[in-house]
Amino acid sequence: MGIREDLEKIGQELQTELGKVADTQALEQLKVHLLGKKGSLTALLRGMGAVAPEDRPKMGQIINERRAEMQEALESKMRELSLAEKERRLKKEALDITEPRDIPEIGAVHPTQAVLREVLDCFIGLGFDVAEGPEVELDHYNFELLNLPKNHPARDAQDTFYVDDNIVMRTHTSPVQARVMLSRKPPIRIVCPGRVFRADEIDATHSPVFHQIEGLVIDENVTMGDLKGTLDAFAKKLYGADITTRFRPSFFPFTEPSAEVDLTCFNCRGKGCRMCKGTGYIEVLGCGMVNPRVLEMCGIDPEKYSGFAFGIGLERITLLRYGITDMRLLYEGDLRFLRQFR
Amino acid sequence: MKVSMNWLKRYTDIPVSNAEYESRMVMSGTGVEGMEDLGAELENVVVGRVLTCENHPNSDHLHVCSVDVGDETLQIVCGAPNVAAGQLVPVAKIGARLPGDVKIKKGKLRGVESQGMICSGDEMGVPAELYPSVGAAGILVFNEDHPLGTDVRDIFGLKDTAVDFEILANRPDCLSVWGIARETAAVLKTPLRLPEVKAEEGGKGDIRDRVDVSVEDIDLCPRYAARVIENVKVGPSPDWLRQYLYAAGMRSINNVVDITNFVMLETGHPMHAFDLDKVKDRKIIVRRTRPGEKLTTLDGKKYDMTGAELAICDADGPTGLAGVMGGEESEITENTREVMFECASFDRTGIRLTTRRLGFRTEASGRFERGVSPRTVMTALERACQMVNELGCGDVVPGVIDIYPDPVKDVRVDAPVKYIVSRTGVDLTGEEMADILRRLYFDVTLEDGVLHVIAPEFRQDIEGKADISEEVLRLAGYERIPSTGLKGETTQGGLNAKLKRHMTVQDILTGLGFYETMTYSFISMKSLEALGFDRNDSRLKPVTIRNPLGEDTACLRTTMMPGLLKTVGTNRRAGNETGRIYELGNIYSPDRKTDEGLPVEKDTLALGVWGGDSSFYTVRGVAEAILRRVGVNYAIVPAAEKYLHPGRRAALVSRADESRVYCVLGQLHPDVAEEGGMDRNTFVCEMDLETVFADAKPMGHVEPIARFPQVARDLALVMDEDKPLGPLMDHMKAACGPTLEDIRLFDVFRGVQVGLGRKSAAFSLVLRAKDHTLTEEEINALVQKALKAAGADGAVLRA
Repeated sequence: MGIREDLEKIGQELQTELGKVADTQALEQLKVHLLGKKGSLTALLRGMGAVAPEDRPKMGQIINERRAEMQEALESKMRELSLAEKERRLKKEALDITEPRDIPEIGAVHPTQAVLREVLDCFIGLGFDVAEGPEVELDHYNFELLNLPKNHPARDAQDTFYVDDNIVMRTHTSPVQARVMLSRKPPIRIVCPGRVFRADEIDATHSPVFHQIEGLVIDENVTMGDLKGTLDAFAKKLYGADITTRFRPSFFPFTEPSAEVDLTCFNCRGKGCRMCKGTGYIEVLGCGMVNPRVLEMCGIDPEKYSGFAFGIGLERITLLRYGITDMRLLYEGDLRFLRQFR
Repeated sequence: MKVSMNWLKRYTDIPVSNAEYESRMVMSGTGVEGMEDLGAELENVVVGRVLTCENHPNSDHLHVCSVDVGDETLQIVCGAPNVAAGQLVPVAKIGARLPGDVKIKKGKLRGVESQGMICSGDEMGVPAELYPSVGAAGILVFNEDHPLGTDVRDIFGLKDTAVDFEILANRPDCLSVWGIARETAAVLKTPLRLPEVKAEEGGKGDIRDRVDVSVEDIDLCPRYAARVIENVKVGPSPDWLRQYLYAAGMRSINNVVDITNFVMLETGHPMHAFDLDKVKDRKIIVRRTRPGEKLTTLDGKKYDMTGAELAICDADGPTGLAGVMGGEESEITENTREVMFECASFDRTGIRLTTRRLGFRTEASGRFERGVSPRTVMTALERACQMVNELGCGDVVPGVIDIYPDPVKDVRVDAPVKYIVSRTGVDLTGEEMADILRRLYFDVTLEDGVLHVIAPEFRQDIEGKADISEEVLRLAGYERIPSTGLKGETTQGGLNAKLKRHMTVQDILTGLGFYETMTYSFISMKSLEALGFDRNDSRLKPVTIRNPLGEDTACLRTTMMPGLLKTVGTNRRAGNETGRIYELGNIYSPDRKTDEGLPVEKDTLALGVWGGDSSFYTVRGVAEAILRRVGVNYAIVPAAEKYLHPGRRAALVSRADESRVYCVLGQLHPDVAEEGGMDRNTFVCEMDLETVFADAKPMGHVEPIARFPQVARDLALVMDEDKPLGPLMDHMKAACGPTLEDIRLFDVFRGVQVGLGRKSAAFSLVLRAKDHTLTEEEINALVQKALKAAGADGAVLRA
């Protein structure tokens, strides 16, 4: 049998086997079987000694050519098989993308704090500084400097918790305003958020502990119009461009004139609904021009400076904002409630 | 304050709808809580005369009547035994409405058509206060004459609306019909028709012969005035008077007492009537009580006096509490023949302290507390005498007693027009302002751009030009306030340190799946004691509230734990098996005080984690994450808090100064968990945010990324079970210096292979030099250093 025949046979074997191999591993074995160190083609090359010396170059060339062809055929098959294998693997790795799993739980800040952030964002944008003060406060700052002398009947309305004769749980955040007026020079633009305390029994709309945000502006030539402009900006920022304010005369010992401010009902947008009892307005805050006596007591010349102050109940606007009807939910900390604010 | 619209209309006109009236009043500062149409449930019931009354053909108790109601004659079947021909009766016509949503329809009773119903007082829902004979059995029969067809609401005073006004604290003058009428007239620009107050004296002699009045404590009683009525005929009040009182929510008592109440409602001045014959020695002394004196008030209650109350006394001692309640002794009865009317002004603070001490209020004391002007006392007193004239229930004895040593002077204010414009932002002229103020009964002169104003005597709230600006603005209309932006110097706004701190912590914890909760700053002593602090722990001596609502508001929290644990318990009971919560807030130091003497408030964070796969390391990890994010260098040391599991509690403290404690954390002690209905696997942390943030290192410059390769060497070390790994790792790190870039624990193994009571910990040392590639010798030397340090701690290389 001659080398040519053997070569032919190997070629045929390759063709037959290539048709049979199903995976890259079998193909690798075939490659070794034919072209490896102990492979058939290698053996053929070793048998070159038996070829006549003059035929050797020619035969060598033929063998090498066939070897190259075979290699190419093997590699091409290899590419084909790997591609198919990769595709099979990818297909096998497919997941049910709708299977619900592995959502990391993100928490939430308290609803009042979420609203507080929005409110502060609005006033900081208008150039207000945030100021805070003690929650256990001197009667002097909580009442006296705010035009509420001892035994003033308006003190009764505030149902104060007393620590002793001179120390109270602050009933509003206004004492922070007094402290700021005594320590800074105008212009003053501050918002004072914080906890306040009233001796109110707990029910759906009352709590012995709640939060206020008060604002204070003191400068030359501050008018009630500036107060309205500021509160309009606040209302629009928080509740939308179509919300307007309505000022009604009111009374607070530390402001004169004083006003109660209603906002367009943000539930019905002013058409009238159950939330606003059909009026189209919701009472949201109290405000006014700082009483000149308060300025004077706090060391600011009322002839040169004027100013305004306003106070917002944080719980109230939070309840309104989310349509919550029972204030107690805010203080119970039940996760079924808090998870809704994610 | 409830006022009858009819009463109000006696003194001014209200030519607008109820809805518009309400809106105009509200927008000028007089709140309206509600309006009640008193006769809303009584419609189409008229006066009729029974012409004939015959027995029903098919019944032994019904009557068939023909009733003339003015414009027609109706056939009505009536079952009342007292019906008779000739009576004047209330007739509910077809289509009439009666209380309880009853509608009268045409119908047949036992075959006879009935075109309406003759009503009893009960069926019409008319209270006896309005018409005393409504209580009688059977149909109501009018005793007096009325034109046929008259709407019965006119007879009962039910064609009226009771308006419930909400009066601001600075306007006690509006707690009166006259006050509201004045505001109404000013707001609606309608004429005001207050009566000319003038009493005619018809009695004999002089008041000074009848009674001797003296005021000893003028500081508590700036004015005391009195009039005496003789030949008094006590009896029922006329219908109109009863009806006005009814609309105002007051009961009619008798004509004399009704006059005092009527005058109080009209003028705002509380009054009192004494049976002068019962006043011992006819002496009235207004003075402070003496400690030990006793007093029985009109309602029969006995009180011990302290010496602080102002009393009305006779020769025997206190008989009434001035401005609060009269005495039982001198009460007006049917037999009263001679009456003294008292009209006074008592000091509001004095009254307030008395009622607070005694724990009750009356209509009169409420008014004195809000302020009753001494200046208008005489008007009210004279009005009462005028009513006596009008009702003909006695003769006014000549003379007045009026003790008023220090008359209040006019309040004069100069308010520049410019000032009012600049304060309100509303561009009004001086003339417009003057007009408004005159409508409000101020005396005004406008001169060179300045309003010279004298406040009316009934206004006690006017003090300065700011008040004048409010008066002008509220009548000009708050809707005229423009909306202007802030002018002046631009200011840079921003958060304060505490809120910045809170936002940092909130953001970290939100990302880690925590929910923020909020509890009260108040806690009960019991909840503190449940934490098992040592007896001398200052946290057991909280700041206390002098007037708590109950034990839950008795103390200020000295730790966040009671609130946090309560919330965890609430959640467990609600079926929330696992959860992560936190609370930010102040705790109140029991022993540290500020310069002002206030308890130091410490900004504190509390964390709570329970259920699921949470462990000690969960809560410690979260605390560490916060400290790392903030940038403080901390060490983990044992803690001693009794409410924590003794083997699972730690404190994170400053590495530089271990007395600076950042937080205490651990697993809740099983006893505490059980007591509070919590999961045994509850882990908590309390962090002192002020200390943490005070030690925070601001981020400095950034290191370049190392360019030379890192080498890792793994070591398994065997040591005693109770050997803490943290310090061991610290010691190895210290021994190797900065070339040991990191040391990681990747396994802890316990088993017989390493021996009983021993454990094996596997570490990976990550080594890298900044400036060259480490040689094998260097690496080996470093590993030896680490091993030596470990050896000093009793940890040896695992065989």
